Amino acid sequence: MKKTFKRVAALALAAIMAVGALSGCNKGGGSNGKISEKPTKVEAGWGMESWKKFDEQVHITVPVYDRSKEGYPSVADNYWTKWVQSEFGDKWNIKVEYVAIPRGDVMNAYNLLISSDDTPTIMMEYDYPKVAQWASDGAMQTIDLVEFAKIAPTYYQKMIDNNQLGYTDISGGTYFVLSERPYYDTTYTFVNFVRMDWLRKVGYDHVPTSYAEYTDALTKIVEAGLTDQPIGISLPTQAYAQNFSFRDYPVNEEEWAMHSSLGTASLTWEPTYQMLKRQNAEYNKGWISTEYDLDTDETQKKADFVNGKTFMYGGYMAANVDWLTSFYENNPGAELAVASNYWVVEKGVVDYPQMRSDNPFGMIVGFSSLATEDQLKAAWMLMEWMIQADNLYVLENGIKDVTYTLDDQGLPVVNADYRGEEMLNHNCNIDMTCLVHASKVTGTIEQSIAAIAPQGLPQDFTQAMIDNYYELKKIATEGHSYSDPIFSVTIEAESEYTATLLSLYKEYSVKLTKCKPDEFDKLYGEFKEAYLKAGYQQIIDERLQAYKDGNSTKLPVQK
Amino acid sequence: MKKNKKNQEAVTAASSIAISKQERRELNRREWKKCLKRDWQLYVLLIFPIICVILFKFAAYPGMRMIFMDYKPALGYDRSKWVGFETILKVFKDADFFRALKNSIIFNFLDLLISFPMPIVLALMLNELRFPKYKKVTQTLLYLPHFLSWVIVASISYVFFKPSTGLVNVLLMDWGVISEGIPFLTEKWHWAVTYLLMGVWQGMGWGTIIYLAAITSINGELYEAATVDGANRWQKMWHITLPGIKGTTITLLIMQLGRIMGSNFERLDSFGNVNVKDFQYQLAIYIYEKGLSGGNYSRATVVSLFQSLVGMILVIAADKFAKLIGEDGLI
Repeated sequence: MKKTFKRVAALALAAIMAVGALSGCNKGGGSNGKISEKPTKVEAGWGMESWKKFDEQVHITVPVYDRSKEGYPSVADNYWTKWVQSEFGDKWNIKVEYVAIPRGDVMNAYNLLISSDDTPTIMMEYDYPKVAQWASDGAMQTIDLVEFAKIAPTYYQKMIDNNQLGYTDISGGTYFVLSERPYYDTTYTFVNFVRMDWLRKVGYDHVPTSYAEYTDALTKIVEAGLTDQPIGISLPTQAYAQNFSFRDYPVNEEEWAMHSSLGTASLTWEPTYQMLKRQNAEYNKGWISTEYDLDTDETQKKADFVNGKTFMYGGYMAANVDWLTSFYENNPGAELAVASNYWVVEKGVVDYPQMRSDNPFGMIVGFSSLATEDQLKAAWMLMEWMIQADNLYVLENGIKDVTYTLDDQGLPVVNADYRGEEMLNHNCNIDMTCLVHASKVTGTIEQSIAAIAPQGLPQDFTQAMIDNYYELKKIATEGHSYSDPIFSVTIEAESEYTATLLSLYKEYSVKLTKCKPDEFDKLYGEFKEAYLKAGYQQIIDERLQAYKDGNSTKLPVQK
Repeated sequence: MKKNKKNQEAVTAASSIAISKQERRELNRREWKKCLKRDWQLYVLLIFPIICVILFKFAAYPGMRMIFMDYKPALGYDRSKWVGFETILKVFKDADFFRALKNSIIFNFLDLLISFPMPIVLALMLNELRFPKYKKVTQTLLYLPHFLSWVIVASISYVFFKPSTGLVNVLLMDWGVISEGIPFLTEKWHWAVTYLLMGVWQGMGWGTIIYLAAITSINGELYEAATVDGANRWQKMWHITLPGIKGTTITLLIMQLGRIMGSNFERLDSFGNVNVKDFQYQLAIYIYEKGLSGGNYSRATVVSLFQSLVGMILVIAADKFAKLIGEDGLI
């Protein structure tokens, strides 16, 4: 019996090893990427007029962010996904299936799909390191931009117009096409609001335009008993250290290449030190909740503002901003104002209100390595179809007199309260239309802002948001707004250490914020060393090398 | 001549053994057939669980070869790179792994020390309750926390134990018992106690079920005899009930020992926060941070396999030990 068991066990082990070894012999390893030719213009006759209906139905899968918003229909199956199918899919014999990707868990969601051979035909993300990782792991296939331009000339022309052709390649292969990000050097869709009624009560007739004014106002607000903890912050959940304002100007390009990133927090960089030091001072004044580090998803931070406990809060604007609506319900008679972008300025520490500009593109769009030629073609057709102005107009506004009405100038005003079957999903279906652009554009910038100005509130912020845009534009024109470097090679150490470093950054930034001011420097020194050892040193070394090898974007000329 | 005789005897003996073996096999087959015919319904019922065990426990075994690979989901097993022992060495050279390992062992041991005896004590106490309705209501209330997920248990804990806005601290401060909030969940030593006690609260009621079942199987005559001999309730509990459930206790203890290397991500993640990272950093967190969230499945598999192997060794060792001291053991 024992002998039989031993024989069976030996056979089983041998079988497992043989399977493994045979699989090993099969390995292809890496991608067989190639750089595509990049047409500088599109030719007449390319595009929809050259398309032919597929003989056999082609099935494509398209990712769509799921933000788990209450009161909204399923992102993957709603009136508008069906509309895409009936208006586009049925016409060309293409089955368009949307796949929900949880917004807060993008990488894991994609990893699961990839490992089960269900990679969506279209793979897209806003962050370059993520798509670079997919390309490097072999989840994406290289594409021929000439073929792409033939099928989607409108889309391709936009890429030419927006100078995006330099971002299509990575690690020696052409993998991406890029959606448009209108007005990318101004983050005008994100607006900070302050309590103007509190400011008036403490003698201000304007919003703070320097850090001195800001701290003075907060001191007076606390003294007046309007609140005891006026600053709302939460645990940093992303690796983005908001240290732009604390950087030297002009910033050292090598340092920028090493540290400026959304992927890994630059704890060891001087601007981050300055940023945390200021936060530590504010905490020790008692202006920040002692429990802020338990707020892991900004819920408490938002609730505190909505409940009238904090001075400032910001968010992306849309026709319907739930927290603004709730704010006015909870604080009748309260007055808000759009914050100045100069409130951070403090001579010697923050000389200019520098800020992170978005990348000159929205979604970075790649295609599954499992997609067939027909699927690839069908995906490109969808992109070209969606970028057509009339299709985009319907997807972003819905149905006239149902989901929107026209204003005096003939521009659509979306009814944010509409809850019927045809209701638009989050931010005017942006998670569907992000395939072609990052934000809704309606005519001029003023008209575009009017389209995203919150509706149905006691105050109208349209003009204030337009003024905010021009203030941001001025800052950008002066050269104080720039984005992070983008590398055309994969920074391998990032995928290895990013999760650990994010976890450490959360821990260290909280400890540095909460410690006594006289302990700050000692603690920072210890954490800096530990952080470098935990993998950050390898990341910055790799980034620097890539920069020196000419495998990264350069800083725009700084005046 | 003598030699021939001996050979003949040997042949006769061998053939008699061979016959008896054959007979035994035949007998076994008949016995087996008889059992199958008699209990076929039970064997049919067993098919589904066996398929599940094969599918979910054994079918995944070939996948474990990823510990020798730099496994990338997009490349699959066929195209992922073979790296030999590189991933295994990387894990065992990583200081964070040993930090996670140390925390896991300490916390699981403490958990065992605190959580294991509690259901026994509780079962003994429940067994002594004489008013049936009260007993049933108490049991139901004790079972309830088991049905709450760790996320809910942790949320409840935070509502109660936050340092300045938690219900307990607010009440204690209002009553003047303390001047500033007790950091139940934001200081690592306090957190460890809260974490372990919340675990006891969540699991002890449910844990009593098996012990109560074991107690009911104790022969009632033993209690009657003890009563006649003048034993009080404490003595009966000590000399009859506890020895009566000893076998069950040892079986459950052996099973618990198998989990000493285990690590519950849901519990750790829900209870954790940045202030208690020193203690919260256990193997489940290590696997998530350095393995799954970075797409490094090979590393996650190495650590999981290590956990399972150590758990298995512990179970076997505990089983041998139990048998050595005269108990039935598990295997």
